[in-house]
Amino acid sequence: MAHLAGPAHPALEPDGGFSRPASRTAGREREIVIRPAAFSLGRALASLLALGRYADLFYTLTLHRIRVRYKQSVLGLGWAVLQPLATMAILTLVFSYIARIPSGALPYAVVVLAGLVPWTCFSNAITTSTTSLTGQSQLVTRVYFPREILPLTYICAAAIDCAVAGVLLVVVMALYGIPPGPGLLLAPVVLLVLLALVCGVALTAAAAQVRLRDIGVAMPIVLQLLMFASPVAYPLDTVPARFAGLYMLNPIVGIVENFRRAVLGTAPPHLESLGISIAWAAVALPLGYAYFKWVEATAADLV
Amino acid sequence: MAYDVRCVDLGKRYLLRGPSGRWLARPARARREEFWALRHVSFDVAPGEALGVIGPNGAGKSTLLKLLSSITAPSEGEIRIRGRIAALIEVGSGFHPELTGRENVFLSGTILGMRRREIAARLDSIADFAGIGTFLDVPVKWYSSGMYVRLGFAVAAHLEADVLLVDEVLAVGDAEFQARCLRRIDELRGRGTTIIFISHDLGTVERMCRRALLLRKGAIVAEGDARGVVTAYQRSVAAGHGEPIASPDAPRPLRIQGLRVLDRHAAERGVARTGEPVTIELALHAAAPVSDLVAEVRVYSYENGALLFDCRLPDGGVPLGPGHHVLRFQIEALGLLPGAYTLGALIGPASGANAVDWWYGRTTLHVEAGPAASGTFHVPYRWSVETRRPDPAVALREE
Repeated sequence: MAHLAGPAHPALEPDGGFSRPASRTAGREREIVIRPAAFSLGRALASLLALGRYADLFYTLTLHRIRVRYKQSVLGLGWAVLQPLATMAILTLVFSYIARIPSGALPYAVVVLAGLVPWTCFSNAITTSTTSLTGQSQLVTRVYFPREILPLTYICAAAIDCAVAGVLLVVVMALYGIPPGPGLLLAPVVLLVLLALVCGVALTAAAAQVRLRDIGVAMPIVLQLLMFASPVAYPLDTVPARFAGLYMLNPIVGIVENFRRAVLGTAPPHLESLGISIAWAAVALPLGYAYFKWVEATAADLV
Repeated sequence: MAYDVRCVDLGKRYLLRGPSGRWLARPARARREEFWALRHVSFDVAPGEALGVIGPNGAGKSTLLKLLSSITAPSEGEIRIRGRIAALIEVGSGFHPELTGRENVFLSGTILGMRRREIAARLDSIADFAGIGTFLDVPVKWYSSGMYVRLGFAVAAHLEADVLLVDEVLAVGDAEFQARCLRRIDELRGRGTTIIFISHDLGTVERMCRRALLLRKGAIVAEGDARGVVTAYQRSVAAGHGEPIASPDAPRPLRIQGLRVLDRHAAERGVARTGEPVTIELALHAAAPVSDLVAEVRVYSYENGALLFDCRLPDGGVPLGPGHHVLRFQIEALGLLPGAYTLGALIGPASGANAVDWWYGRTTLHVEAGPAASGTFHVPYRWSVETRRPDPAVALREE
């Protein structure tokens, strides 16, 4: 006699609910080859082209950065306004009222704010992305995804803050009744150079931090030095002529000065320093990315 | 040969004293010690195949998993993977406590390479799988640790992949959740997903995989039919050649050397029939005489890890001299219904608070159908039919 048929035990029924195609996924024919790590511009280019598939991850993580940063703060996104505003107030107090730095025809507060917008973006992006790999070891050691997404999302969050600060600048300019300069169209170009430079430096710093933790400790000091070595709190023409050549080697100089000139119309563009900034960005971006990809391959062993 | 995954001469080297030491504090001639976690490892996995990778701790299993999933790059050799690869791991560690379950599902889902659209379509199913119901919109910091882990795993379980890496699923969650994970893997296997199953759990490897690799000290030492490789590994562990998995290596006064099940022909096949006699043999070594040895052999459900029954020595213990011994528990009629079971054992002195050595999961028993039965267990019984003469008293009442 056959076994008596009865109801099967419910626990033995397969899970329903989600479906999955019986055929292979669309990427089936693609072959991934994993090889030992190497410094290679060609490989960097290939990974850049593959980055498009991770657009959703980039979007979600950037959203996450912004959400998390202000999740438990009362002021929320107001901090993006308050941060440059407070720095502007402090610098104005110290440099304008105490040290009496000349600011030309315009009020010092506006001059310094116009410099702070690109500088804060640079400084925030570099600070946050330097520790972006080492600070998330639990993620980096467990799951693979293109690691450059981590610093890039911090850069994106810094860029959003920069846009908020830009709106603040417009409001302050309107309050003082200052019209935008004739070279305003140069401002987006300057910001593009800034973005390229930030990406190159941030990728290099994030990767270097994986190998040498000293980078993250030194970064605030380096950034502070860099800020005073850039025309943020003072205009470029106050720098003594004999130091000007050396001074302009700093890639931030051309960005900060030209952004201010473009927005406020204080002077025609300073093309020499802008050229130096572009040259820096053009070198830093590809080399920084290739270095990052090289370190990334074994980053999980070191974080 | 067609393959989904091909490893060629794969090697991974770690520097024990790496280049990131302090420059000033480093002695002039610091030696970097090399350690090869894997070396000269080559194998193919055919499309749709389920390959098990077993081996003791430190054999290179986790390193292999990390290389296959691109978490870290090999030091030599290459890996070729055709199609989309995904690792079935618990990703709760990537969760952010302030975000809700839903937000975290999107976050970890995209980290694993899913699109937001795909995640949105599977959100209900993910929540069901994790069994978190209405907690989806609550920040995960309010979750119990079990919910946290289950949700993390549920996200990974919904990945769409051609090649699936599975690592120690049984370490996650409670017995019921583990069973659900195993069913999920079974289901994917049924749909033709190529699976690489990296595990300590020999029983699962044997059940899930047709072929297995045995890794030891970073090299493949055995390869072939899963049952054969698992048996070879168990033998080598039992014979003391390999490192035991369950019990640490410290010298012990008492040590379990093996646990096996013999069928009624005294053959060790790992298979028995319901209702038939079986013998469970526990091989042990005593370094010194013991006056009160207690031992327990436990039989667990393979599906959910529940303890079904045990066989044990009397409570006061039995005396035992030094040397090798084989303890036999003879079961006259096996009460287990057809299915898979895991065996474990504990030994120690009755006077001690804890077991001195234990054994778990390395011995499995497959029970095949004997006499037809339903329910949860079989009990031995006899049956007879007696035909009686009509009882005059009953006949009287019927009238």
